[in-house]
Amino acid sequence: MVSQAAPTHERIIQTAPPRLMEGLLRPLRVFWRALRQNPVGLVGFSGLLCYALLITVGPLLVPFDNIVRLDQIAAPPGSRQVLLTRAEDAARYTTLESLAGRTVGYVRETGGEAFLRDYLRANPDAFQTEDTRWRSGRGVPDAMQALADGEIDALVVFSESVKRFIPHDPATPFTNLVVSNPALGAPHLLGTDTQGRDIFSHIVNGGSALIYTALLAGFFSSLIAVTLGSLAALIGGVVDNVLTSIANFVLTIPGFPLLVVLASLITLNNMVLLAALIGALSWPVLMRAVRSQVLSLRERDYVEAAVALNLGLPHIILREILPNMMSFVAINFIFAVTSAMYQQVGLIFLGMAPINDYTWGVMLYFGRTRGTLFSADSALMVLAPVLAIAFFQVSMVLFARAVEEMFDPRLRTAK
Amino acid sequence: MATLNPPIRSASSRPPSLTASARLRRLARSYTLRVFAQAVVTVWAVITFTFFLIRLMPGNPVDVYIDFLMNQQNITYEEARARAASQFKFDPDANIFVQYGEYMGRLIQLDLGESITSTGTRVIEQIARFLPWTVFSVGLGLFISFILGVTIGTIMAYLRNSWLDNLFSLLASILGAVPNYIWGLLILIVFGVQLQWFQVGALRGTYNSSLTPGFNLTFLLSVLTHAALPVLVYVLGSIGRWMLNMRNSTIGTLGEDYVSVARARGLPPSRILLAYVGRNAALPMFTLLAIDIGFIIGGSVIIEELFVYKGIGSFLFWSISQRDYTSMQGVFLVITISVVFSNVLADLLYSQLDPRVRVGGGEK
Amino acid sequence: MRRGLFIFLLLTLALALAVGAVGAQEPTRFAGGWPYQLPPDGHFNSYASGVINLGIYWDLMEPPLGVYMWAQGAYEGMLAERFGFEGDEAYTVTLKSGVSWSDGSPVTARDIVTTFYTGYLIGWAVWNDISSVEAVDDRTARFVFKAPSQAAERRILTEQIRPASVYGAFAERAKPLVEAGARAGSADFDALLSELTTFRPEAFVSAGPYVLLPENITDAKVVLVKNEGGLNADIVAFDEVHLWNGETEVVTPLVLNGELWYGTYGFPPATEAQFIQAGIDIIRGPSYSGPALYFNHAIEPLNNVKLRQALAYAINREQNGFVSLGESGIANECMCGMSDNLASVWLSDEVMDSLNYYDYDRAMAESLMIEAGFSRSAAGKWTDAGGNVLAFELIFPAEFLDWAAAAENVTAQLNDFGLEISARGVQFQQQQQDVYDNNFQLAIRNWGVGSPFPGQAYLQAYDRYNGQGELAGEGVGGGMRFPQSVEYSGGTIENLRQLALDSSSGLDIDAQRARVAMLALSYNELLPAIPLWERYGNNPLNRAKLNAPPNGDPVYINAGVDHFMPYLIMTGGITPAV
Repeated sequence: MVSQAAPTHERIIQTAPPRLMEGLLRPLRVFWRALRQNPVGLVGFSGLLCYALLITVGPLLVPFDNIVRLDQIAAPPGSRQVLLTRAEDAARYTTLESLAGRTVGYVRETGGEAFLRDYLRANPDAFQTEDTRWRSGRGVPDAMQALADGEIDALVVFSESVKRFIPHDPATPFTNLVVSNPALGAPHLLGTDTQGRDIFSHIVNGGSALIYTALLAGFFSSLIAVTLGSLAALIGGVVDNVLTSIANFVLTIPGFPLLVVLASLITLNNMVLLAALIGALSWPVLMRAVRSQVLSLRERDYVEAAVALNLGLPHIILREILPNMMSFVAINFIFAVTSAMYQQVGLIFLGMAPINDYTWGVMLYFGRTRGTLFSADSALMVLAPVLAIAFFQVSMVLFARAVEEMFDPRLRTAK
Repeated sequence: MATLNPPIRSASSRPPSLTASARLRRLARSYTLRVFAQAVVTVWAVITFTFFLIRLMPGNPVDVYIDFLMNQQNITYEEARARAASQFKFDPDANIFVQYGEYMGRLIQLDLGESITSTGTRVIEQIARFLPWTVFSVGLGLFISFILGVTIGTIMAYLRNSWLDNLFSLLASILGAVPNYIWGLLILIVFGVQLQWFQVGALRGTYNSSLTPGFNLTFLLSVLTHAALPVLVYVLGSIGRWMLNMRNSTIGTLGEDYVSVARARGLPPSRILLAYVGRNAALPMFTLLAIDIGFIIGGSVIIEELFVYKGIGSFLFWSISQRDYTSMQGVFLVITISVVFSNVLADLLYSQLDPRVRVGGGEK
Repeated sequence: MRRGLFIFLLLTLALALAVGAVGAQEPTRFAGGWPYQLPPDGHFNSYASGVINLGIYWDLMEPPLGVYMWAQGAYEGMLAERFGFEGDEAYTVTLKSGVSWSDGSPVTARDIVTTFYTGYLIGWAVWNDISSVEAVDDRTARFVFKAPSQAAERRILTEQIRPASVYGAFAERAKPLVEAGARAGSADFDALLSELTTFRPEAFVSAGPYVLLPENITDAKVVLVKNEGGLNADIVAFDEVHLWNGETEVVTPLVLNGELWYGTYGFPPATEAQFIQAGIDIIRGPSYSGPALYFNHAIEPLNNVKLRQALAYAINREQNGFVSLGESGIANECMCGMSDNLASVWLSDEVMDSLNYYDYDRAMAESLMIEAGFSRSAAGKWTDAGGNVLAFELIFPAEFLDWAAAAENVTAQLNDFGLEISARGVQFQQQQQDVYDNNFQLAIRNWGVGSPFPGQAYLQAYDRYNGQGELAGEGVGGGMRFPQSVEYSGGTIENLRQLALDSSSGLDIDAQRARVAMLALSYNELLPAIPLWERYGNNPLNRAKLNAPPNGDPVYINAGVDHFMPYLIMTGGITPAV
């Protein structure tokens, strides 16, 4: 929306009769106007919007890639299928169409096979194919030999295999092979994982379950923390002692043995249960902080007044206490969400979260255990989900800043 | 007991009627003692729970040793079982409540017992060997990250919405969102392997083994260089949280009436910063800090393993993987005591820093 | 006179220079790695758990009598000079002369006697084979058999020999216990055993070319220094052996930046690719073991042999192996419960020809499924007669990275074939217990074991995962509940476990081969589990630092306790690269 458009918009709504409509739109309008004045908040908001699009629309555009391709394991970003021919044919055979009636080779269980299968489905009988068995990595040089020997006319093969088997070294037997079309298939934007599958498609498809669960877990843990922390501080006495002791207890019981034992008793295939478990284990730190804050706030005049007027605990907590520590709770909620994402990775290790749902967490688990971080080519298998999580947190932090300023009038004046 | 005084009062402005010792006595009766008793009960509850918990974990020391023998020496299951049975005084079928009774009996005499998997080794010796290094490295990391984070956070709040604030916010969120083992691995791979800025192997361990421990410059330097990488990772992993928390807390404080009043009264900005803003804004930080201080003892398993910085974290990892119940129990006991009591101290300290808390907490 | 003095001075100077030159020279070293535990847990008593565990490199300090050379199918003496059966009554071993312990005492037959009598206390199985061992003379020891077998010979020869100067007193007190047949539970036995396991020698006494001194143990690495009087001390090419501490992920940076030159870890393929790029060679020796897909035979369709055969055809093992462990994950071919490397040695050509190799064949799998009474639903899923989709849960040890990858891939393949498998990683100790307890549907566990006797491989399937495992835990037991008495096209086998045990007993090789053939053929037909691939090592060897035999040398097929690396170090087969 162009910034100039807003006033006209406003006028239209003001003249529109239905009150309900206006009641709904007004907060949105206020929100949007405040956001426009706060560029950082706008960045955060757009970031969150991008993530929302990524996890809702993304999977429709980029389907999950589940094809195992043995020749492109842990390949670098930008790698793709290429067409390999003998040097003398390089000018002739540059596209698959130009190979009509000829024989095209591929190696079984590689990206070349998958690519040709798709192509032939659209254009049956375009040309003959000839396959080579994979044989523990010898398949690609075997197929290249077949091409050099003239048994096939062209070979669909992975760009990294070409680099590996055709070094620019006159001593190798494949000196007469050249890449006639360097861009046959679509490139792997973020490279491939340890099974030769496209990482980008996993990033697009792997966010929703993780984000939902983490938001839910963050919400649970903040809810428990704020409720119990406020109650402990406001009621005091025995309630305070008991709640503080419970918090200390949960804080101190060793997490790893607890989870191992829990994992042997229950399996969590349900997002809500998973979130509840994470929430139930991670509230005490925030609860203690909230309690201290409320202890401070309790003695303020307005809280005193609310107590004196006997407005009831829910009113005091929601109306008097919470708004005054909203920013503190918000930032800790955001950290809780991020740490819930990583806690899910830990639960995958313990078998409490399933691996079939291929989330960023599962990517991180397999990426790390498969040592991909040690190679620059494949490091994105670990770094891409970590960065996805990190930028999600960045967006939330920046957005939270904007929201705070909107709701806390003091922040706008005090500077 | 309501008060309409300004929220922060320095210690000297308290009613002069109570002498220091009388005040202490009152505290001891009404607050401190009760808090400590509560802490002791919590510690007992946790170690009791832990005692049964770790014995519910799959596998036991004998199973683990059987596995080890079968995998490393390729002997049959039966022989491995016979060999494992000979090694440990531990009997997996013994009554667990009797075991618990024995354990508590020894614990009251301050005896942590013997390691199960290394027969004859005292648990207390194991803890004494590994704990100091963890306390040093994690403590140093926490100290640096707290001081830096709180300072930067205050600056960010003062320069709110400036480019510096935005930059630091971005940095802090990214730092906080990447788990510390990723930082550890990246540092090793980028600076150790790719750029060769340091020799990965030479920096392992807690000090240069050719030196004799002592209070001399070379040894202390060697201790510091060996701790540098783990400490760096601890700082990277936690500083973002301090920065953002302190920023938000300070902004909240800046909006308070008493700060506006202080400004209006024309107090020098430095005095406002220290006495009014800084002190109040740092209060919630202390609660978080107290919890972190408690967890210093636990160390960080992954980082200590990754840099081969042998502290209590990596020892705990080892004893868990061996299912060495007594060693585990010993480490967990130390962790529990430190977490619970650092929280108690935090509560007491808090009530000193913020009189409102003490007054309310003590009287209700 | 003056001239004499001059010559004397000159000589002194030359000597000083020579000494200086030698002193200035960097000691040559071998840089390997092994995860070990530090004192106070780690100690020097190799009869007690918690000994500072240096794995395969322990041979460098407590060498065995002999090493089995897998390629030659024969033992090569280490401490022993001569060894052999005395009919089927006894086994005699004669030690090499001139070898001494690091405390100065010579290695004698008394050390052998000490080693085995002390071992009785901690349950060594060799005492099921022998009734006594005595020193015939200073260098010769004689083992008297209860039940002679090749397996007994192996237990005698591959045991590491310990010093009598350290453990002699224990052996002397253990001897009457052996003669009286005392067992754990008797007061004398338990008292002596408890003394043994809490015994903590101050220093380590070595008979090998290297010795571990207490001051050379640090957090990051141990340094083994030369033991001048030890076995082959004049042959070994390194002054020192450095062993870095830590597991796979921890040592990887050291391999990459050239500080660790040889490592026996299971590196993931992406890491391995990085090694190759850095110019580091990869040694791939077989491990005679690997992951298999185990079935719970107490569950209805999984006990159907046709279904298991169909699944064997439906799984592309080559793909599974390559995805899991790169070029070190070699598809199992014989599908007969043991390594292909053993099958070619133990099975006749005739037996090999009659094995079914289950080459990846979806059409064959399809027809077997139909034969077994299953049909495809409209959605393409396999259903049983009642219309239920074949849905199972597959558990795998979450921490074993190559098995985790195998599980992930096998799940994808079977789901593609039309089953509904959900895979779940489980903490590794729990996962094993679940299999022991019959608390699973499908599971990834190992087939085979690093022993030259095929019988040992079958004990994994028929003993460890089929009932005996329950002894370790308190669970219901039963393992995969495969019947021990089976019928197959070659006849009936009364007790598979007993047959596996018998297959390495006695000295009649032909009878052993016949039993192994029965085991192989029945396994191949009935498929109690589907072996996926054999795990070959992917051990980085930095040839810029070390001179070692080229890849493909037969020495690299030595596995298990006969590992090739300590053998190469001790026999001078590996040297510093200049």
